[in-house]
Amino acid sequence: MTLPLVQINNLSLRYGNFVALDDISIDFMPGTCVVICGPSGSGKSSLLRCVNRLEDFGTGDVIFDGQSLKSAHNISKIRSNIGMVFQHFELYPHLSVMNNITLAPRYVNGINRDEAEAKAHKLLERVGILDQANKYPDELSGGQQQRAAIARALALEPKLMLFDEPTSALDPEMISEVLQVMRDLARNGMTMLVVTHEMGFARDVADEVVFMDKGKVIERNASGNFFDNPQSDRAKEFIDRVLQKI
Amino acid sequence: MNYEFDWSLLLEEPNWSWVIEGIANTIQLSLVAWGCALVLGVLIGAIRMSKSRTLRFIGTTYVEIFRNIPLLVQLFLWFFVFPLLLPDDLMRAWNRLDGVPFLTALIGLSLFTAARIAEQIRSGISSIPKGQFLAAYSTGLTEVQTFRHVIIPYAFRVMIPAIASEFLTIFKNSALTLTIGVAEVTGAAKTIEAYTFRGIEAYSAASLTYMLTTASVVIFMGWLEHALRIPGLIGKR
Repeated sequence: MTLPLVQINNLSLRYGNFVALDDISIDFMPGTCVVICGPSGSGKSSLLRCVNRLEDFGTGDVIFDGQSLKSAHNISKIRSNIGMVFQHFELYPHLSVMNNITLAPRYVNGINRDEAEAKAHKLLERVGILDQANKYPDELSGGQQQRAAIARALALEPKLMLFDEPTSALDPEMISEVLQVMRDLARNGMTMLVVTHEMGFARDVADEVVFMDKGKVIERNASGNFFDNPQSDRAKEFIDRVLQKI
Repeated sequence: MNYEFDWSLLLEEPNWSWVIEGIANTIQLSLVAWGCALVLGVLIGAIRMSKSRTLRFIGTTYVEIFRNIPLLVQLFLWFFVFPLLLPDDLMRAWNRLDGVPFLTALIGLSLFTAARIAEQIRSGISSIPKGQFLAAYSTGLTEVQTFRHVIIPYAFRVMIPAIASEFLTIFKNSALTLTIGVAEVTGAAKTIEAYTFRGIEAYSAASLTYMLTTASVVIFMGWLEHALRIPGLIGKR
C-alpha cells in the first residue's frame, strides 16, 4: 500500500484573532498533481506554507514523508526535499541565474561547484532558458524569471513541489510558458501542490482539485468532476464566477 | 580687506610638521574608529533584529543612549568622567598610558558611530523583501546560511551609500576631538594660528584637507557602488 507523501492532521493557524486555517485534515499521495483553489483569503497560500513549515502553525501537525514537521529538529534538511515556487519569483537579485540555482545544492547538500553547475545546466535546458544562465534575474522577463525559479526549486531533486500562485504576477502571454513547464513536471510524475487561479490548468493537468473557503477545505474532487459536477454550493458559485470571467 | 596672504608659512617648520601630524592623526583616528564602529554596529544591528526580547532590548538601549547624547558631551564624559569611575589601580594605569586623548577619542567616536551604523544596518536588512528569506529557507538553507549568502550580500549593496556617508561623518566629527587634546587637522590649524596669527591660511588649509579627503572618499565609494551594482536592478546607468 502506498503511503501519503503529505499528511495534514488537524492543522490550525491564526494571525491574532483571524483564523487562517481551521482544523484541516487532508492527505496527498505521491505522484499526484493537486490544484488548491478558492477565493482570496481562504487560506490556500497559508496551507501551502505550512507544508514546509515556512509558517509556524499553531495546533495540529504536518507529516511529510513519514516525518513530523512539528517535532522536526532539522527542518532545513526536510525543506531541502520540498521545492517551492513563489508568486513573485523571489530569485536572489545579486546572483546570476546559474548561481541562484547552484546555491542550495552547494551549501545544503555540499555538492561541488562543477557538479552543481552541470546539473543546473540540465535543469535550465529543461525549462528552456539555458541561454540566460549568466544573466541576472532583473535582466530577464517575468516568464523567464519564474522558469529560473522553478529550476532553482528542482535543483535539490525534491520529492514534492509547492507552487504558490506561480502565474499571478505574469503578463498573459508569459503565463503559458510557465504552465507548460509545470505540465511537463506533472507528466513526469512529480508530486505537486499548486495554488492557482488558472482553471484551465486545474481541469486539464491536475488529478484533483481542493476547494477552500474561510480556512476550511470545502470540497475535494477529481478535477473533471469538480468542474462538471461540484458537490458544494460554495464551489458551484466559485466556478460560475471564475468561468464567467472568460 | 587689506590682508597679505602668506601661504608659504604653512611650509615652514614647525608649521609643516604640525600640518602633517594633524592629517596623519585625523586619518588614523577616522579609519580605525570607522572600522571599530562598523564591526560593533553590525553586531548591534544584528542584535536588534534578533528573536530574543532581551537582546533586542540591549541593542535598542545602546542605540538610544549613544545616539541621543551630543558627541561633544560624550567625549568629555569619556575623557573627564570615565577614568574617575575606574578602580584606583586601573585609573593610574590608564593615566600613565601614552596618547590617552587619542585612545579616548577613538572610544568616543567608535561607540557613537556604532549606534548610527547599527541603525543603517537594521534599516538595510529590513528593506530586503520577506520573500527572499522564505525562498532561501524553502531551499533548505539555515538561518545563518541565509544571512551569509542571500541577505547580507544583498543588503550590503543597498547600504553602501549610507555606510560611506557615515565615514564622511566620522571624518568630520573627528575635528571635535581637539577639545580633549588630540592634535588632528583642526587642532594643528589652531596651533598654527596661535603661533603665527595667520588664522586665514591655517583654517583654509584645514578646510582644504577635509574637502580633498571627503571628495576622494565620495569618488571611491561611487566607483565601489558601480562595481558591485546588481545588473538590471540598482545603479543602472
